[in-house]
Amino acid sequence: MDGPRHAPNSHPTQQAEAVRLVSVRKTYGAADNPVVALNNVTVGLPAGTFTAVMGPSGSGKSTFLHCAAGLDQPTSGRVFIDGAELTGGDETALTKFRRQRVGFVFQQFNLLPTLTALQNVALPLRLAGRRVDLRHCRAVLASVGLAERADHLPAELSGGQQQRVAIARAIAAQPRVIFADEPTGALDTTAARDVLGLLRQSVRQGGQTIVMVTHDPVAASYADAVLFLADGQLVGSLTRPTADAVAQRMARLSDEVARRHQVAVGV
Amino acid sequence: MLLLSLRSLRRQPARFAASLLATFLGATILMSFASLLDTRVAGAVDPDSAKTLVLMASVVGGWGLVIVLFAVLSTLSLLVSQRAAEMALLKSIGATPAQIGLMVVGEALAVAAVGALAAILPADLGGGLVVHLLHNTGQLAPDVTHRFGAIAICLGFGITLVAAGVAAVLAARRTTRTNARDALLVAATGQRPVPRARIISGVVFLVAGLSCGITTAVALRGGGVETMAVGAQGAIFAAIGFALLAPVLLRAVIAVLAGPLRVLPGVSGYLTERNVRGQLQKMAGAVVPIILFTGISTGTLYMQEIENSAKAMTGAVQTVADRNTETLNLVVVGMLAVFAGIMVINTLVAATTFRRREFGQQRLIGATPPQVLRMVGLEGAVLVFTGVLLGSLAATVTVFPYSVAKLGTFAPDTSIALYLAVVLAAVALTLGSSVGTARRVIRTPAVAAATTRI
Ligand SMILES: Nc1ncnc2c1ncn2[C@@H]1O[C@H](COP(=O)(O)OP(=O)(O)O)[C@@H](O)[C@H]1O
Ligand SMILES: [Mg+2]
Repeated sequence: MDGPRHAPNSHPTQQAEAVRLVSVRKTYGAADNPVVALNNVTVGLPAGTFTAVMGPSGSGKSTFLHCAAGLDQPTSGRVFIDGAELTGGDETALTKFRRQRVGFVFQQFNLLPTLTALQNVALPLRLAGRRVDLRHCRAVLASVGLAERADHLPAELSGGQQQRVAIARAIAAQPRVIFADEPTGALDTTAARDVLGLLRQSVRQGGQTIVMVTHDPVAASYADAVLFLADGQLVGSLTRPTADAVAQRMARLSDEVARRHQVAVGV
Repeated sequence: MLLLSLRSLRRQPARFAASLLATFLGATILMSFASLLDTRVAGAVDPDSAKTLVLMASVVGGWGLVIVLFAVLSTLSLLVSQRAAEMALLKSIGATPAQIGLMVVGEALAVAAVGALAAILPADLGGGLVVHLLHNTGQLAPDVTHRFGAIAICLGFGITLVAAGVAAVLAARRTTRTNARDALLVAATGQRPVPRARIISGVVFLVAGLSCGITTAVALRGGGVETMAVGAQGAIFAAIGFALLAPVLLRAVIAVLAGPLRVLPGVSGYLTERNVRGQLQKMAGAVVPIILFTGISTGTLYMQEIENSAKAMTGAVQTVADRNTETLNLVVVGMLAVFAGIMVINTLVAATTFRRREFGQQRLIGATPPQVLRMVGLEGAVLVFTGVLLGSLAATVTVFPYSVAKLGTFAPDTSIALYLAVVLAAVALTLGSSVGTARRVIRTPAVAAATTRI
């Protein structure tokens, strides 16, 4: 029922969508008084694209990312990654599902402190029991500009360099999708620009699929498309975004949300 | 700064639980035996009873003092090192080393005072139990009644507070001496060189232990109380020595084990080797209570065995009094061994709980819960291997010389079963508390765990 929207090459098994959410709902808290974090979200993200997810604080961006990445199970609805449905299972089964398909880059750099940059990059491969090609890992580190820092510990690297190692780690495992939650949130402007450029480059040159949550219009402008969330619902999108267009849209969205909340309180 | 430390105590009591437990149990043991001195000075006590009381208080005090000091030192160092990031942050926003030192020492003293205060009642009961046993074994005149007074309070509070203060000063100095950037680095990697003073004093204690052993074997053959006192001292000194040298010795052990760990299937062996090497000091902190547990249990249990064999050799049958004395010894040793055992659990639970974030990170990049648990189990195996090895070596410094002195033979004709039971207990305590805690910790969803700041 959820076939590919359009199949550019006539291969019937070829998946054009890297991620698909169908009527995904996520609530927190008690059943009689639930907090609805995601409300009936349906969306498909084409493979080989860079998508930014934006919205006011509390709009459900992180919840969207966690559900789409298989880190959290939706309350109802279905999630497909690379054509395979995420079904309930124990943590071990979910982990195995994820590690073949998704990689993560988070705001906190999340490198293991006792491993060097190179060892951090190779770790997902080791965990998955895959053959570790150190030359490939070094090449990926070099592609993020850290060839000289391969044997340094994370504590010996700057924040921007650590985030680049985290990106290299995600890329080296060659997942179908990389999910990034505020990857530039802890970086200064220059380091942030480097990181965003690297993400875009891996999409343009490596055919990588990236989904990035951000609240920064400049960061979002590096993406191919922006999805807007408000109160847990998808409320619009923008293709080939510019920072100005995104900022305008965000300002309008915030006003609308504020008005809606006022009305809700007034009733 | 003092206000800040009291506030952090009130806000995060769970963080201080391990230190509080250590100071509470430590002060209980110290005051239980120190109250024997109160009993001694309280009134008319016949000379024999007086001698028993003082001997009991001072001999047991040996191991007691050592493990209490180590327990307080290690749990407080752990506490301070777990807060290294917080202190580095304080420093980077302009707190002076003196201000940070004051905060850390203030916290430690507050914890120690609370622990010692809570220990008063249990210590009164504990001292009463020992006096009761001494009455039963006929080593104390029936008219001597147990007293709990100024000496117990002074020694208990004094030693606990001083140990806590010293631990805090040493730990704070380690963090505050380094500059702000390096402090952040140390907080992230846990790597700093082992201080030379620690190595030198470790060697001194080892030599002292060995000379006790040699003295026992060579000069004190067949002797009575002195043989026992000096003999027991050997293992105590050796255990202190090994405890001080633990980071250095652990580095040697992991260098030897690196080969076998690498050939293990899967990633756990690799991570274990990296983690132990990368966090020697933290890991050594967990080895120390295992050394003490093994050393105390093995050393004293086998001394009793040798004592029994010596009696049997002279053809004397064990009298009721002998058996009672044995019971008394076992109760006393039991108390100390239980304390050391609790410290093994205490240290590992605190250290493993603190790794919530690390486990979350590993799971986000594809480690399954069983993989994380295997790594923790393997690390535990390395720690218990090192601790049991060093603790056993420490015990031999008492056991073999004492056997030579009492039985005239190097190897006592006793069963190995006791030793195996001690080793088994050490393994069960270590793996049970580290893997058990890790199992509980990884129930937190991976993202939540990986993105917590603590
Ligand atoms: N673990 C949770 N328990 C309860 N409520 C939650 C939890 N996580 C998120 N929420 C709620 O769900 C909504 C969406 O949160 P989130 O996805 O974190 O938003 P964003 O990332 O856009 O700021 C918010 O109202 C938030 O309070
Ligand atoms: Mg968020």
